[in-house]
Amino acid sequence: MPTTKVESIKKSIMNKIQKAEDVVFKENFTKEKYLETYYIKSISDEQVLGKYVLKPFFEIQGAELFLDYLQSHPKISTFKTEAQTVESLLRGEAVLFYQDYIFLFDCKVDRNNAVQDTTVETTIQGPQSGFSESLPTNLGLIRHRYPEATLKVESSQVGAISKTKVMLLYDTRFADMDTLGRIKEFLANVKINMFQTGEQLLDSIKKSNRSLFPVMLVTERPDRVAINLSTGKIILLIHGSPFAVVLPTSMKDFMASMADIYQTYWVGRFLQTLRYIGLFVSIVLPGLYVATTSYNPEIYRVQLALSIAGSRNLVPYPSFVEVLLMLFMMEMLTEASIRLPKAIGPTATTVGGLILGQAATEAGLVSNIMIIIVSTVAISNFVVPINAFSFSVRIVKYIVLGLATVFGLVGVGIGFLLFIAYMVKLDSFGQPFLTLIQTKPNKK
Amino acid sequence: MNRYFFYLILTNMLINVIIFVPKILIEYRYEGAVMGMLIAIPIGFTLACLYSKAITKFPGQGLPEIADKFFKHRWLTILHFGSIQLAVFSAGLITLVGFIDVLTRFINPEMPRLLLLSIYLIAIIFIIQLPTERVMYILEIVLFMNTPLIGFIVFKAFTSDYISWDSILEVGTHLFDRPSLKAIAAASYVFSGYANLVIFNRVIKEKLKVWNFVIIFFMGIFNLFTTFFIPIGFHGSDGAQEYLYPWISTSDSLRLVYSPIERVIFIFLLFYMSITLMSISIHWHSAFELFKGTFRKKENKKMKWIVLSAYSGCAVIAVMFLETILLNQITVYWMIARLGVEVVIVISFSLWARRQLA
Repeated sequence: MPTTKVESIKKSIMNKIQKAEDVVFKENFTKEKYLETYYIKSISDEQVLGKYVLKPFFEIQGAELFLDYLQSHPKISTFKTEAQTVESLLRGEAVLFYQDYIFLFDCKVDRNNAVQDTTVETTIQGPQSGFSESLPTNLGLIRHRYPEATLKVESSQVGAISKTKVMLLYDTRFADMDTLGRIKEFLANVKINMFQTGEQLLDSIKKSNRSLFPVMLVTERPDRVAINLSTGKIILLIHGSPFAVVLPTSMKDFMASMADIYQTYWVGRFLQTLRYIGLFVSIVLPGLYVATTSYNPEIYRVQLALSIAGSRNLVPYPSFVEVLLMLFMMEMLTEASIRLPKAIGPTATTVGGLILGQAATEAGLVSNIMIIIVSTVAISNFVVPINAFSFSVRIVKYIVLGLATVFGLVGVGIGFLLFIAYMVKLDSFGQPFLTLIQTKPNKK
Repeated sequence: MNRYFFYLILTNMLINVIIFVPKILIEYRYEGAVMGMLIAIPIGFTLACLYSKAITKFPGQGLPEIADKFFKHRWLTILHFGSIQLAVFSAGLITLVGFIDVLTRFINPEMPRLLLLSIYLIAIIFIIQLPTERVMYILEIVLFMNTPLIGFIVFKAFTSDYISWDSILEVGTHLFDRPSLKAIAAASYVFSGYANLVIFNRVIKEKLKVWNFVIIFFMGIFNLFTTFFIPIGFHGSDGAQEYLYPWISTSDSLRLVYSPIERVIFIFLLFYMSITLMSISIHWHSAFELFKGTFRKKENKKMKWIVLSAYSGCAVIAVMFLETILLNQITVYWMIARLGVEVVIVISFSLWARRQLA
């Protein structure tokens, strides 16, 4: 018979959990044994419970034998503290009261463990599947791709209410211990109530000032994670999110697509160069347009200068208003096309892009060349493979545009340099965000 | 081969166009500029070698850190720091005032100079507060983006049909004139990028190899030759002196026939915008760090902003009161003073370093 101590613990645990339809307390008897199980059936797997606990309970004859069984089963752990028991219960473990013992039986239902296709970082060739929303599955995916004994996995929790399980993965051979320490300290100090996905960390990474660029890479690709592990990066897996966080991150990582290594060398290089040119264009072009039409039209050869001036002939306001107007429309279009249902998306783009652009030019509100510039900017902006970074870049072009409006060509030049300087200033857990030649972190 | 050392020297070589080196040299082209250059090369090179050899004996340490460990006399330290600080700060200041003048002259003639200055000051103040290592990274990126294209422009200049090699030869015949001190001082500026090592030695962790010096030696010669002779080749041996900024006017004589931007001057100035900014920033960063090093114990935020606003104040006053001719004349004397200070500091420091680490 249970002692009073176990009885009181049972009482107190049952008092802490609010009564609900899915909270199950079940007593089981045989001739010589008495077992109580307590679990939440919506998050626990009753089949597993039946197979590994209830069935043996009725099959094993002796009371002591069943106790041995319980104690030696790998899925069963012993009682530690009351608080921990309640927490495990809420995560889907079953509490077993047997004789003088309290056991925790791990029978969590692993929902959402289907591996999803990549939707954000798509590539033409190479692996096509991303992470799932289940932490064990994700860990498994990474282990499949990274079968190394030196891969270390540490678990912790983030989030005051959500108590989200977070795993820290790194290769002990390559990872920089200073950086690791900083990351652990950072994770310990994160103050979030509901932690659902890695992207939330982006904002809380800096306490004082908000950085314009993300300094951690959020990815949905297990192959990217595996590659980053081998270069000494530290990976954060979050329960319930199909995205992994890669730390520390440099700007180069944001400009790299996995397709680069799945292509031949020169194709990969070409694509990479293309992306950097796209980045440059999308930042500088609007500012350059304002600076060259309003301040220094003589910079171009005569024919070009004349054709720009000619196309602006009908436009009744200064160039920066024109640029702002069109950029604003473009941002609206981009934003709307994300929100729209997939079926209507193309329509909106057609209406917005083609018809509106055409009409705006004919009405003399903007020049033809402006339309070309705005679409170039919009397209080249999305050449940046990682979304979080390309969104930040969207903001930078307004800063350059503002400087160009006030200072002309000098504004464009200095604005771009300030953008670089700002990126160099940023650091991601002690590693500089942007350097020309990246030093390998795996110094011996 | 240490690339950081190379970058510092290279920046100074590139920036001499803005800081009146070609103007001064061309002014004395019949009065000993050629000989002056030939003399300046060994002088500048020796100074660069001596100082960089001496300071790289303390790998990874800037002058403030070295002073903390070894310097005994406080007043000597302040004097030593003060003179270097003044030299590097004024070098940056002249570059800044000169370039603001260039910008108003060639790009934004209608814009008030102070407005142009303000954006430069914002960028400079942002950059000089960064850690030394980061300033170096920015410099590296800027040089990486700009130097190849400036090299292309120089290549275009050398291969242009309009360059008159006869004028260059004509000036070359004045080889044996008595060298002028002003020309020597101006020409030796090409090598004096090593002065920033006082702070930037922090990022140089290993000993410099012989290669470094061989490369800067030949680069220096090439650079001086280009600086001096290309404007003469383009504008003629007499005509070259008519220009306030011979190199910028020279770049305006170049034409890229198939490029959308036809006039090279705009490309040239766009590149120089960032190179100048970086040059000023590394000079002022050195000055700023030296200042912080002098008063290491009492470092605080207020102090920092006082210094930064003093820098900006100097820049504002200089831009308001110095017009091009005056600035040019001041620069000539500044060059001579700089050479003097450099010789004294380099020799005393290298002797001291030799005794310290004998």
